[in-house]
Amino acid sequence: MTSWDEKVGGEPADYGNAVLSANGSYTILPEPVKTFLCNFEAAIRNRNVYDIIQCYEAQFPKLTERFFAKYNWPATQVVTEIVSRSLGGKEPDQLFVILYTEMYYKHIYAHIAGGPSFEDREASYFNYCDFFNFVLGTDTPVTHELPYQLLWDIIDEFIYQFQNFTQYRAKLKNKKDEEISTLRDSVTTWNIHSVLNVLHSLVEKSCINEQLRELASGGDISAVAGEFGERQLYKMLGFFSLIGLCRLHCILGDFFQALKVLENIDVSRLDLYCNVPTCNITTSYYVGFSFMMMRRYEDAIRTLNDALAYHNRVKSSLAGRPDVADYVAKQTDQMCHLLCLCLSLHPMRVDEIVHAQIKEKYNEKNLKLSRMDLDEIANTFQYACPKFLSPVPPNFDLPENYQMNPMRQIKEEFISEIKQQARIPDIRSYLKLYTTLSIEKLAGLMNTEPQVLHRELMCYKHKMQNIVTADAAAAAAAEAPTASSSELDFYIDGDMIHVADTKVARKFGELFIRNILKLEDVNRALTRLDQFIYGVAAGEAGPQAGSARS
Amino acid sequence: KYIELQVTENVYDCEANLAVLKLYQFNPSHYQTNVTIKILLKAIANLPHPDFSLCKYLIEPDKLREEPLSSVVALGNQLETCDFEEFWQSLASTKSSIPAIGSVLGFTDSVRKFICHVVGISYQKIKTDQLCRILDIKRDHLAVYLEEYGWKLVPDDPSHVFVFNYEETIKTRNISEKIGFPQVKQLAPVLQNAASDCHKRAK
Repeated sequence: MTSWDEKVGGEPADYGNAVLSANGSYTILPEPVKTFLCNFEAAIRNRNVYDIIQCYEAQFPKLTERFFAKYNWPATQVVTEIVSRSLGGKEPDQLFVILYTEMYYKHIYAHIAGGPSFEDREASYFNYCDFFNFVLGTDTPVTHELPYQLLWDIIDEFIYQFQNFTQYRAKLKNKKDEEISTLRDSVTTWNIHSVLNVLHSLVEKSCINEQLRELASGGDISAVAGEFGERQLYKMLGFFSLIGLCRLHCILGDFFQALKVLENIDVSRLDLYCNVPTCNITTSYYVGFSFMMMRRYEDAIRTLNDALAYHNRVKSSLAGRPDVADYVAKQTDQMCHLLCLCLSLHPMRVDEIVHAQIKEKYNEKNLKLSRMDLDEIANTFQYACPKFLSPVPPNFDLPENYQMNPMRQIKEEFISEIKQQARIPDIRSYLKLYTTLSIEKLAGLMNTEPQVLHRELMCYKHKMQNIVTADAAAAAAAEAPTASSSELDFYIDGDMIHVADTKVARKFGELFIRNILKLEDVNRALTRLDQFIYGVAAGEAGPQAGSARS
Repeated sequence: KYIELQVTENVYDCEANLAVLKLYQFNPSHYQTNVTIKILLKAIANLPHPDFSLCKYLIEPDKLREEPLSSVVALGNQLETCDFEEFWQSLASTKSSIPAIGSVLGFTDSVRKFICHVVGISYQKIKTDQLCRILDIKRDHLAVYLEEYGWKLVPDDPSHVFVFNYEETIKTRNISEKIGFPQVKQLAPVLQNAASDCHKRAK
């Protein structure tokens, strides 16, 4: 683990102020870094949200790229020293210390080769405990204000590090014995119950569910918010914790619960609640995935479609954040894969632009998927699915690599579900060609017996029935409204199949109108240009000539 | 215990059952085969909802592959693929080996309800024999089901049962384009200019 200490003398000597580091040797910290640290602390202490955003989103990544691309940031004690010294001996703000430590470890996870060691992971975990204790452990709410992006990033990173740790713990094959015994003994570090507990406490403390319900019914939020929930910090932490819980349930394989925790949120209008693009995209991904696993293909397609359209809109605003660019790109790619998968199972019309994007990038894949190529389906699923986890520690006595097991389990189940639907695309393609068709004829075309065909047709109908309700609770009720929204529908009358297809006429009118108006604009621009040129020329010759021209 | 209650009283609480499975996932030492079987059976009885799939995601694949769970899973799969006749046969043969199946009150009724639901959405008219076969009932019992779902024997043709008049609902639709007045309004100034230009040239 290289630290800044070892890099003494690597930079030109115009950075002043040597500082005593934790292990007693001198370290030279560059001036820009010191200024940043002091500004950041001041911003947090003064509750200046705008400055915090500047420090966190703009300066920190720049400084990381410039000085710390391969090395750790200075240790927390060093930083506390520096800031305290600049404040004339006073203690820096406690929240600043916690946040800086969080950013320190996040940097290790993201940029340092070899990733975090076990000690790093444990220390990071305890830092998160400090943060949540700081926020939750008081009787009265803390008065700090933090930007939403920062709050979301904390929750997001918290769950990510938990995921990472569980995977790390499950890879037992190449570990040394002491490592294994340390893991065996550390029951409390990154324990699933604590993680769940934290998220649930945040949700409870901020009364976020009650607030959301009031919001949906148009009532008065402040009446139900409670002392903590009134403050933006707690409210948004509660909101982001709901999303965190959705993600957590999804990666544990409980898709029903994943959707249930978001029951008070209208997933199709996420931008109403908060304007954090990374949060909205991540939410849509997990929600879309859960819908797909629950066989609610229509909802899944709609959610993924909206998410991809949203991503197109906010792409430009995300360009300024290189640290999240990769992550967002990967997630959108995964969502494209999921959309391709859902569309091959349940063809539906989607947004024009999204449709064009998919066609461009994944044409070959779509062909294979529509032919029910099981390998292609398995690969697509594996790429697009989240990293599933098992909530229990692995069997430490048998050093194997267990981390892929949960994923394999879910993938197997999914593939067996797909196998049950294997004949459906064939049936669909044949039905598209006819308005009425006898069972005998279709059986002949498909090389099966009429008996078997009856069964397959019923299976088609059964699988394509989606639950169409946004309310997760209602969906579980016995009489949830279901509908088949496939564009192609049919019914069986004795021995005849009657097919109904939806034909959408091409929209010429809109295209023509748009282009007529465009042409008009161009004409006007040309006329203006004309006037301008001749006006100038006439101005040189004489003003009367110019006015006669126009 | 709650599961027992559901089984004997013929009620169903999906969330609670999933929670129990989750409990087993978190604490594998608490796992009980009997309870899991009953949960799976209740999930099957709740088709067409995807509860059965959801349950399977939460159970370890090794357990699903061995008896007695594997027979229950097979039953579920047969229903999911609408292989009803196979299902009744398998049920008869596994009923003896898995006593739990017999203890779930209303299991066969719920299954028949599901089958009728599938028939209801697929058929306008179905052969009476076929219907009896997939429901695994005798011709004389058919009347009860016909009454329940409002189906009728076709008047002149007792070999068919009339399910639902889909002719009205499932028809080919042509979504043609409608150009609304507001859109045309946008063109008004353009058209006006064009018209006056034509006038000028004509003069």
